[in-house]
Amino acid sequence: MGLLNLLRKLKKSDDEARLLVLGLDNAGKTTILKKLSAEDIDNIMPTQGFNIKSIQSAGFKLNVWDIGGQKTIRPYWRNYYDNTDALVYVVDSADRSRIDEAQEELASLLKEDKLAGTPVLVFANKQDLLSAISASEVADLLQINDDRAFQIQACSAKSGEGLSDGLEWLVEQLNDKEDGAAHEGK
Amino acid sequence: MKLKRFLLRYYPPGIVLEYERRDGTRGSKEIDLLRLTPETDVEVLVNQIVYEEPLISANRKPQLRKLIYKLMEKLDQNENHDFYLFKILRAHILPLTNCAFNKAGDRFITGSYDRTCKVWDTQTGDEQLTLEGHKNVVYAIAFNNPYGDKIITGSFDKTCKLWNSTTGQLYHTFRGHSTEIVCLSFDPSSSIVATGSMDNTAKLWDVETGAELHTLRGHSAEIVSLNFNTFGDKIITGSFDHSVKVWDVRSGKCIHTMQGHHGEISSTQFNYAGDLCVSGSIDRSVKLWDIASGQCVQTLRGHNDEILDVCFNSNGNKLVTASADGTSRCYNVMTGACQAILIGHEGEISKVTFNPQGSKILTASSDKSARVWDVETGDCLQVLDGHTDEIFSCAFNYTGDTIITGSKDNTCRIWKC
Repeated sequence: MGLLNLLRKLKKSDDEARLLVLGLDNAGKTTILKKLSAEDIDNIMPTQGFNIKSIQSAGFKLNVWDIGGQKTIRPYWRNYYDNTDALVYVVDSADRSRIDEAQEELASLLKEDKLAGTPVLVFANKQDLLSAISASEVADLLQINDDRAFQIQACSAKSGEGLSDGLEWLVEQLNDKEDGAAHEGK
Repeated sequence: MKLKRFLLRYYPPGIVLEYERRDGTRGSKEIDLLRLTPETDVEVLVNQIVYEEPLISANRKPQLRKLIYKLMEKLDQNENHDFYLFKILRAHILPLTNCAFNKAGDRFITGSYDRTCKVWDTQTGDEQLTLEGHKNVVYAIAFNNPYGDKIITGSFDKTCKLWNSTTGQLYHTFRGHSTEIVCLSFDPSSSIVATGSMDNTAKLWDVETGAELHTLRGHSAEIVSLNFNTFGDKIITGSFDHSVKVWDVRSGKCIHTMQGHHGEISSTQFNYAGDLCVSGSIDRSVKLWDIASGQCVQTLRGHNDEILDVCFNSNGNKLVTASADGTSRCYNVMTGACQAILIGHEGEISKVTFNPQGSKILTASSDKSARVWDVETGDCLQVLDGHTDEIFSCAFNYTGDTIITGSKDNTCRIWKC
């Protein structure tokens, strides 16, 4: 990757979209990213900074930024808001004790000016665990009350189930946005 | 005019003459000895200098001879000890961006995604200062070498800040760029700061007053590299628009636009003499340009992937490249011949630099290692292992016996020999 590539990824480009993956620590963000790029998901350590991967999906090149979720580094999430085309918010569906915390972080994200109108995909992750609550329960607990494009997708980063469905929805949103821009004659 | 005393400059080798004018005021003049090697015939050189330089009379020959021997000794000072890991600095809480030494090498600075720049003591590894105030990533940083009393930090928050390097006092915040600042430099006299931005412009600022002096307009894409020449009257900018531009510092006017690359420019540098500059590009080639004419004088090919960094040695007779193909190449600047291919990294090389003596090359890679190479043979002398994520930046100190590496793993490591 290197610093130069980080600069190139800052650039806005027509056929590339920038996805920002956020969520509490241990929600499974990095595992989702690695699973999507068909990488080994054993021995994933807590992300102390960020990971970037490029994923091809339905003609789109998705530059996916996975940012560490520990409390100490959450204040730095806003370093990464610029030029974000879609937000992916990952929730550990099996950790009921932290769902309020997840709800609060998401609520404050939705208030950010730089993320206004950005489509949001919520991955209700870890559905492979017995203790996991369903995607619709997650949706209720997150109390999402926003008129932007929104989708809750049940998934398991471990098995990979649900991940591509979620991405498909996102790409659809990005396409709609592009069509909309074309209609406006941009 | 009367010669008062000699001063030495080790890298690149040179002798500074301090003289007194008739009216009693003092001035200085530099004799560059860029071609000096440990094999140079000293008698011939001494005679030539005395013949060409009116300030030096024949009776100064013994003194001059001693100075030249001293310079040669410094060039030959090839530390053959291995580097060992001296300290791991864990004070940043997010990935590092760049790192840099002051001229004396007793202090260095690191920039980070955690929006701070930290000042460190090289001897102890102690953190001396944290420069706080930026609202986003601190990407580009620099000391005003050779003085070292000031620091500039360029941020994704669109501003550049000028600090006192000892107290941490903020002198100025330079505002005016409309997007991220990604490269910057002090001019050699430390009176001007240049900043380059993703907004396609570079700006010149007055260190004393904080005022904007010029906006260098003309590039049609992001500026990712800029450098002053040794004299300080010209600046070059490298851009994602595939071109390199030469600017006049006083007027802010573009002197040359150097076109020929077929991809984004990744890195640029002047040689010490200031008659040439080098550019590396995503198009896998490296070009040498004549500053006076703006013409390309040499295109260096050979890499199989993007060039990510280029660097001259201190006297300007060699240059080294870093590529995404995982190798570095060392070229003879005069002939354009590739003298060594540095093979061994298992990932792209993002940064490369010579030690000031010109005997070693340091590379930093995404394979989480930095490597030290022998310039003459191209052999890998040492692998600096230990970082747990890719290395973004690396630097030698002036004496060449200390290395710092800055990594995505949030740490900076000091290596000594």
